[in-house]
Amino acid sequence: MTETHPAATDSRASAATIYQLKDVVKTRESEGVAFSLRVPSLHIAQGEKIALIGESGCGKSTLLDMLAFILRPTSIGSFQFVGQEAGKSVDVALHWKKGKLNRLATLRKQHMGYVMQTGGLLPYLTVHDNIALSRRMLGMKDDATVRQLAGELGLTRHLDKYPDALSTGERQRVAIGRALAHKPAIVIADEPTASVDPFAAEKIMSLFIGLVEELNITVIVASHAWRHIKQLGLRRLAHHTRRSADGKTTETVVSG
Amino acid sequence: MFRQLRQALKLATRDYVHEWQMSACFVLALAAVLGPMLVLFGLKFGIVGSMVESLIEDPGNREIRPASSGNYNRAWIDAIAKRDDVAFVVPKTRSIAATIQLSSPQSSQIVSVEVISSGRDDPLLAGQGQLVKDLNQVIISQSAAEKLQLEAGDTIDGSLSRRFQGKKERVHLPLTVAAIAPAGAFSRDGLFASINLVEALEDFRDGHAVPAAGWTGNAPLEQRSYPGFRLYARSIYDVADLRDNFTRNGINVVTRAADIEMVQRMDNTLSGIYWAIAVIGLAGFSLSLGASLWANVDRKRKELSVLRLVGFRTGHITWFPVLQSVYTATLGWAMACGIYYAAAWGINRMLAPQLNAGQQVCRLLPEHYLMALGLTVAAAVFAAAMAGIRATRIEPSEGLREI
Repeated sequence: MTETHPAATDSRASAATIYQLKDVVKTRESEGVAFSLRVPSLHIAQGEKIALIGESGCGKSTLLDMLAFILRPTSIGSFQFVGQEAGKSVDVALHWKKGKLNRLATLRKQHMGYVMQTGGLLPYLTVHDNIALSRRMLGMKDDATVRQLAGELGLTRHLDKYPDALSTGERQRVAIGRALAHKPAIVIADEPTASVDPFAAEKIMSLFIGLVEELNITVIVASHAWRHIKQLGLRRLAHHTRRSADGKTTETVVSG
Repeated sequence: MFRQLRQALKLATRDYVHEWQMSACFVLALAAVLGPMLVLFGLKFGIVGSMVESLIEDPGNREIRPASSGNYNRAWIDAIAKRDDVAFVVPKTRSIAATIQLSSPQSSQIVSVEVISSGRDDPLLAGQGQLVKDLNQVIISQSAAEKLQLEAGDTIDGSLSRRFQGKKERVHLPLTVAAIAPAGAFSRDGLFASINLVEALEDFRDGHAVPAAGWTGNAPLEQRSYPGFRLYARSIYDVADLRDNFTRNGINVVTRAADIEMVQRMDNTLSGIYWAIAVIGLAGFSLSLGASLWANVDRKRKELSVLRLVGFRTGHITWFPVLQSVYTATLGWAMACGIYYAAAWGINRMLAPQLNAGQQVCRLLPEHYLMALGLTVAAAVFAAAMAGIRATRIEPSEGLREI
């Protein structure tokens, strides 16, 4: 890693790495507009809290999806992921190349939680079972974790309800619960509060970051509102978006 | 890995139950197409089946009779008997010589009966043919048995006469009633006898000696020829071929081939009509089933992507729609069977007055139900698996971002 973010140098030198990306590119084209996201270099250490701030369309979701192994990069220099503390690093680039999607799914299952902008809950499972899903996937036993988490998220009285009986904000809290219930190494959240009113959004975000800190989970959050995020002590990932003069190509460069 | 598969199947079941209204629509749609098809097939199978059954049941339909008397020797008849398509053949003597007068201790009547050459495998005797043997073991027709008040095991007296060298002679022969013939076997007074007895009667009347019976006369015949034969084909479907074979050899025969052919033609016509409808129905059925399952998977693409996001293997996700399609197929089939039952019951009841007892116009065998189930499940699984595989081919991020 040659390029480093000045504000985070110290903390990252001592902590173990979770992500290490070099020259990862995703390009796509729609309606004659070419879009590309370039990540010359990205290093995320375990326990870090990262914020990705920007307008919609700048490529935040694209980066998060690549970090969650659900979007295949167009080209990869190198892409290393370390799920466990002091664990062996996984060559994600190689898995993509060999098409080992199930290996990537297993990594996701074991080490990752993902909170989508909206939805992502299974409508046929109760709140309790939606939260417990990530634990059941791993064969973890049904202990008090789900109830405790639901309590902290203010969902205790909704545990037996189905998602369609909940408000948007409540659903997002359920999604956060599911992403954290199996105590993953990292949680990725793509604008988790974008569909909620600003007041509730701040509350949910504070709750989320509080839980993440409590559980010592690495977090990467995309958001378009920096002001509140900043107060929560997240590191902002630097990125620049350039649009060509004719408006036909958009390029975003992220590094950190 | 099995834990995950179990999870996926459990989730698929919960989804199916949670969406019971949608599931019920799929089941109804399937039953609405499959039910009438079962009724259609039941009708075709029942109508043709009962016609064929009545044809097969009556041995008269398998009989082939020479149209006029001929000249057949024993070797020729033995050769015919060896044919695979011949169930039974026995030579006949001149009918004028094939009579005998019977009397019994129980009755004062003397009954003159026709003597029919018979033997093992005689289709008219329904498995009792082997009881007919030697010169004295006979089977008697029902009307004669009634007149003489006979039961199986009785001994009766048979007698016949001839004019020989200017004198009238009468001989007697003790006969044992081995059995009474089935009701439909012979409607007049008759006696089923072995060919030996039938030949003996003819020989005596012709003035020959019959040493086995102790009857004297001219020297026994050396070469015998028969004016006719009784022949039954193995099945009704062999009748036409046998008839053609005889005709080619210059023997005109009388058969019921025309009736049989009519039923066969009808079977073919009905089968043709049925298959035309079935192919159209099946195509429509497959399309509707495939389309609804495909659409269902498409509808659930986002949910399936969520399952991938939480870490399900692609193979296990494909099971999700496949299991649901098995539910739909099985429930739809069960419902179609219900529709069929109701319709078949109605049809059979409506047409009962026109039918023989036990006959059914609309009828299916257990294997037909199983076949329908197998086809339905196979088609459903195929459609769902295709759609499922397609759904897993989409990048999860794309599936998740869809609105």
